[in-house]
Amino acid sequence: MKGKFLVIFSVVVLTVSFLGFNSLFIITEGEQAIVVRLGRIENVHTDAGLKVKVPFIDNVVKYSTKILSWDGEAQRLPTVENQFIWVDATARWRITDPRKFYESVATITMAQSRLDDVIDSSVRSVISSNPIREAVRNSNIINEIERKDVYRASDDDDELDPESLSVIAMTETSYTRIIKGRNEISNEILERAKRITPDYGITLIDIVIRQIKYSDDLTESVYNRMIKERSQIAQAFRSDGEGKKAKWLGEMNRELRSIRSEAYRRAEEIRGLADARAAAVYSDAYNRDPEFYAFWKSIESYKETLPKFNKTLTTDSEYFKYLHDKRGR
Amino acid sequence: MSDFKMPKGFTVKPFMLVIAVVILLLLTGVFMSIFIVEPREQGVILRFGKFDRIVEPGLNFKIPFGIETSHIVPTQFVLKEEFGFRTVRAGNGRSVYSPSQFTDESSMLTGDLNIVDVEWIIQYRITDPLLWLFRVDNQTKAIRDISQSIVNLLVGDRAILDVIGSERTAIEIAGQDMMNELFDRYNLGIRVTTLQLQNIVPPKGSVQNAFEDVNKAIQDRSRLINEGKQAYNEQIPRAKGEAEAFIREAEGYAVERLNKAEGDVARFLSVLTEYRRSPDVTRTRLYYEMFEEIFGDEKSGDLIDKNLKNFVPFKTVGGN
Repeated sequence: MKGKFLVIFSVVVLTVSFLGFNSLFIITEGEQAIVVRLGRIENVHTDAGLKVKVPFIDNVVKYSTKILSWDGEAQRLPTVENQFIWVDATARWRITDPRKFYESVATITMAQSRLDDVIDSSVRSVISSNPIREAVRNSNIINEIERKDVYRASDDDDELDPESLSVIAMTETSYTRIIKGRNEISNEILERAKRITPDYGITLIDIVIRQIKYSDDLTESVYNRMIKERSQIAQAFRSDGEGKKAKWLGEMNRELRSIRSEAYRRAEEIRGLADARAAAVYSDAYNRDPEFYAFWKSIESYKETLPKFNKTLTTDSEYFKYLHDKRGR
Repeated sequence: MSDFKMPKGFTVKPFMLVIAVVILLLLTGVFMSIFIVEPREQGVILRFGKFDRIVEPGLNFKIPFGIETSHIVPTQFVLKEEFGFRTVRAGNGRSVYSPSQFTDESSMLTGDLNIVDVEWIIQYRITDPLLWLFRVDNQTKAIRDISQSIVNLLVGDRAILDVIGSERTAIEIAGQDMMNELFDRYNLGIRVTTLQLQNIVPPKGSVQNAFEDVNKAIQDRSRLINEGKQAYNEQIPRAKGEAEAFIREAEGYAVERLNKAEGDVARFLSVLTEYRRSPDVTRTRLYYEMFEEIFGDEKSGDLIDKNLKNFVPFKTVGGN
């Protein structure tokens, strides 16, 4: 009889433990569950711990209580100015009403698909009714930033005064003021979508724009604009350099001419003065006896020039006075 | 340890099996209840799924067989996320980066509607392991999404040159604050310790070249101005020197001229004094001295008598 008792005992133990195990379930932190009995929602558990249910009859459907993320595909949307941009948004949401969630979408996949529709259309309406600057910028800080060292010039910055720099480099442009800005736009998108999501037991926490890009053709033209802007600035710098160099060279030439002509003038003055004084010396001396000067000068001159001539004398010269007559002619 | 030898005639009784199973279960239980928490980590213990306690580094125990579960969280590590680029191999001085572009993350619009490529990293630490584990699903994705959207917003609020230049620090500070605010709101249980912008450049290709050309143009401008200055500084002093020399030369001429004049005149004046003393004698002497000087060297010469038509050979008086 002992054997049979053992067998019955084991079977009872096994059955009890089996039933026991099936009547317990654990909800971990970060989870919530609903208990469905025969197609009807019987219980909702939103806190963690060991829970009891009717074995086999009750079905436990678990959902996360964590913040979940929604990630849609980037959409190509027109702004109010009809410029096409790619808007990539993400959202965070939670299942706050598991009962409604189960009744409406039941699975995360279905919920994501529902959110796709809701959020995409909300993004589309808001973006297309606003100018692009409201979606890109968040504040008017762009007009308040002081631009001082935008262009790092060389060491002698005294050449690059801020006024001429701002003219060259267009550093003083001001931008249209925005009214809403990106955060407010995101809030608008959120508010629109939030109206619908409670139907699914979902609370949308936020919708943020992760990235905005131009559509491809627009990107090309923006690139071209950027390149053109830069070349204009580069050109302005180079022209300014050419101009300043020309100024220096002009100044240099002017001064060179001034220096040289001044030197010439003074040298001539000095020479002229010297010539005059020399002439005075000569005339002063020679005028003491002009006749004797004429005689003496001629003598000196003959001594200079005549040796070079082939000479043929006539006896008519004064030199021969005593030649034919010892008392002179 | 010696081999377990079955003694002869040993039969396995049912209750021995039960004892063996019980011992096995006990051993398994002991093994399953021990776990180690590494330094710089913390462990979160759930009992029946509900939070029970946090355990520190070292040897720890939990109730086995799934009653208590342990979840390890690296709380003292500084964790990093990269955006716009990826480090392939971190090195001591030089890290190797992936050559691919990550323009989905890096390409952004600026406030003046230009396009710029931004690379950045964030560093964060898990400050509350319980929150980290159980409040947010796919924590890394949430961190990355938020970080991207915040940097996108901050860059979009500023002009391209400010983003590249003077506003970097402002963006880093504002970004870090905004991220921490949002993550606190989500109860993510982390703290962002750094937002660091890395390379910020205009889009590669002709746009970047155009930006670089502006820098070149600035240098060109400096170079041109220096050329002008240099030419000036070279030529002007030199010309001044030359001018000085020119004037000195004239002065030299002046002195020379005057000296010559006075020299010439001196000679004349001394002869004049002599002439005044004895005019006829001086005159005659000078005249005949001239003739001697001019004709003294003459080897042959012709003398023509004024009354004759023929040449008369010049002979010294007394000769034939």
